[in-house]
Amino acid sequence: MSEATLERGMNAFREQMNAPVASFFSSCVNCGMCAEACLFYTETGDPKYTPIHKLEPLRRVWEQEYTLWGRLKSMLGLSKPVTDELLEEWETLIYDGCTLCGRCSMVCPVGNDISYMIRRAREGFVAAGYAPEGIKGASRRAITIGSPMGVKFPALAAQIKHVEADSGLTIPVDVEGADYMALLSSMEIMNFPEYLEALAKIFKQAGVTWTISSEAFEATNSGIQIGSSDIARELVNRVVVAAEKLKVKYVISPECGHAYTAIRWEGPNLIGRPYDFKVVHILELLDELRSAGRLKTEGTEDDRLTFHDPCQIVRKGGVLEPPRNLLNMVATNFVDMNDSREMNWCCGGGGGVSANERAEELRIKAFKRKKTQLDELNVETLVTACANCRLIIEEGLEEYRMEMPVVGLTEMIAEHLVEDEK
Amino acid sequence: MADDRKKLSMTLGESLRQQGVSRRGFLKYCAATASMMALPPTMVPAIAQALEKAKRPSVIWLSFQECTGCTESLTRSHSPSVENLIFDHISLDYHHTLQVASGDAAEAAREAAMHENEGKYIVVVDGSIPLANPGYSSIAGISNLQMLEETVAGAAAVVAVGSCAAFGGLPHANPNPTGAVSVGEIVKDKPVVNVSGCPPIPTVITGVLAHFLTFGSLPELDALGRPMVFFGQSIHDRCYRRPFYDKGLFAETFDDEGARKGWCLFRLGCKGPMTYNACATAKWNQGTSWPVESGHGCLGCSEPDFWDAGGFYNALSIPDSDLTRKTGYVVGAGVALGAAAGALNRSTRAKAAAKHETVTIDDLDKKS
Repeated sequence: MSEATLERGMNAFREQMNAPVASFFSSCVNCGMCAEACLFYTETGDPKYTPIHKLEPLRRVWEQEYTLWGRLKSMLGLSKPVTDELLEEWETLIYDGCTLCGRCSMVCPVGNDISYMIRRAREGFVAAGYAPEGIKGASRRAITIGSPMGVKFPALAAQIKHVEADSGLTIPVDVEGADYMALLSSMEIMNFPEYLEALAKIFKQAGVTWTISSEAFEATNSGIQIGSSDIARELVNRVVVAAEKLKVKYVISPECGHAYTAIRWEGPNLIGRPYDFKVVHILELLDELRSAGRLKTEGTEDDRLTFHDPCQIVRKGGVLEPPRNLLNMVATNFVDMNDSREMNWCCGGGGGVSANERAEELRIKAFKRKKTQLDELNVETLVTACANCRLIIEEGLEEYRMEMPVVGLTEMIAEHLVEDEK
Repeated sequence: MADDRKKLSMTLGESLRQQGVSRRGFLKYCAATASMMALPPTMVPAIAQALEKAKRPSVIWLSFQECTGCTESLTRSHSPSVENLIFDHISLDYHHTLQVASGDAAEAAREAAMHENEGKYIVVVDGSIPLANPGYSSIAGISNLQMLEETVAGAAAVVAVGSCAAFGGLPHANPNPTGAVSVGEIVKDKPVVNVSGCPPIPTVITGVLAHFLTFGSLPELDALGRPMVFFGQSIHDRCYRRPFYDKGLFAETFDDEGARKGWCLFRLGCKGPMTYNACATAKWNQGTSWPVESGHGCLGCSEPDFWDAGGFYNALSIPDSDLTRKTGYVVGAGVALGAAAGALNRSTRAKAAAKHETVTIDDLDKKS
């Protein structure tokens, strides 16, 4: 059995150095514009949360081992080495003070993708043994039990039974040859079972053949959050194996944001081959059904409501208009936040921050950004499409004593379905 | 729709008047065009008459490997000028940067314009064409080469706008990774006018079009395929700082007394003597100024291979051969150093990858 060491961490940093990283570091002009785009900086005012600053350990490895000046400088003893102390100090910046939301990348005047680099820097931190306990635990549970929250299939089976009993619908499990295989996040299984019911209702009305796999139902990927491609690969691979075994045409990413990033964008690169199936986000699928006229709704929500764009789905995933199309189907009083769509502010809990107990105080502070956005709008209801965002926002609202229901978009659509065949 | 059709059938004169351009403004433009093109004043009424009656010609604008600076040059004006209005009054049927349509609709517009104006339309090209691999630049899945060949097939003439289209430009600069070539290297069976410059002067572009509308032919071209009327004289010959050159008064740095007094910028690397263009007379930004007037030497942007012609701040008086040898050494050393550093970096990374130990959940903790 091996263990995490500084040497392994350094090796991982070296491995992460590719052309984009090198060009990003060499083109950074230290303008600091990324700071203003980061909610951890704007809400704390502490310059250490400047996104590019969070990359100091990775930058040092790049400079010292990949550039001529850096090599000369380290030969002459002019540069500071990367040490355990440095990594320990930076661990909180890179895990507690970054949600990988990518807003900083949007404003960088030289086009540096900072969140791409943070994701890569985490590879070094985790290999060197500097990852928060919370995400370590989540990763262990994901690998050994099958889900970061420790949910096993029997727990899902029990929820399925409840939903079936309540709604009179059937939820197909392990149906070979179905068109779609739905993934869930544990958060949805345990905290928001209405999501499952909503799926069943919508798919029944739209005539979509679907299934859940008893072997891989969990979509969240702590490997991405902790920053280990090795762990992420194993988790993605489970889904790929299950989907290919059931011979489905599509795999549906749940509302959960990092799950979507993991299965849709990082997955094929992690396993090193294209999938036999396509990945769609549930909102993309719903919007497709809507435009094909297969989604029939009645009645409207007349509350003044807004939509929180989850960063992984909207900013980094490109699902910009589907949520709006869907909302406008059932809501009469929908208003966009300032900075909506690709420039929306993060809830503060993505990228593993919500699994990291130590980060809670900081996360609550960062939530003030969302609070400000909501205060400006004066809305009665908040709709979102990421189970993690939803939970974090609910906690934040409670903390700041704001009364506002937080609703998942899929459920909202399901509630307005025309029930003609009963 | 009806409006559009009516607009299409309008003559240029009608269309200009509808836009509120006065007869006087129009004649001023014709006079300016005549003088720009070095035509006798007696030609002004002829130009006016021809333009007045001309139908809006169909122009298909193709953008290949370029930075859109040429389009910017043409569209960025602070108040409408006659040449901008002329541009509003040709029928710009395809320009994927400016047009509203995209995807199939855009390509359909191009094809429609080609069929409807077979043999009569003008193709304007900005950007160079990659020959190494079509994947370096393609539009709607069509390679630049293919789009150029099929569009030019039914054209009356081709105008290569900007140094990229005229001479390969920046993409063609050493080591030319995309295999970029100019329009003239591909189109051999149609008249090609090179309107070089990085970017070219807007008046020159519209001037070429006006000439085509007036006389039904293209202006006389120089050895590099550029209209003589605009590229016939060097920057140096028309430069307002020329008297200082003749008196031997040179600025030595950008902030010395000579620079403040507006002396010649030759020693600061001005390429005016070897550059043929109309900057000194036509000026930029609606006649506001031009590079030499704002204190910087000419870069020689309208000449072939201007990117590979040595440093912008090296005076031309440094013997060419010496310059080549010197830069040769420096470039050689740089390339060797770069290659060595690249190889070193690749091996550092490969070694790291070879040493990679899979991170499992058992390795998350440090042994304490």
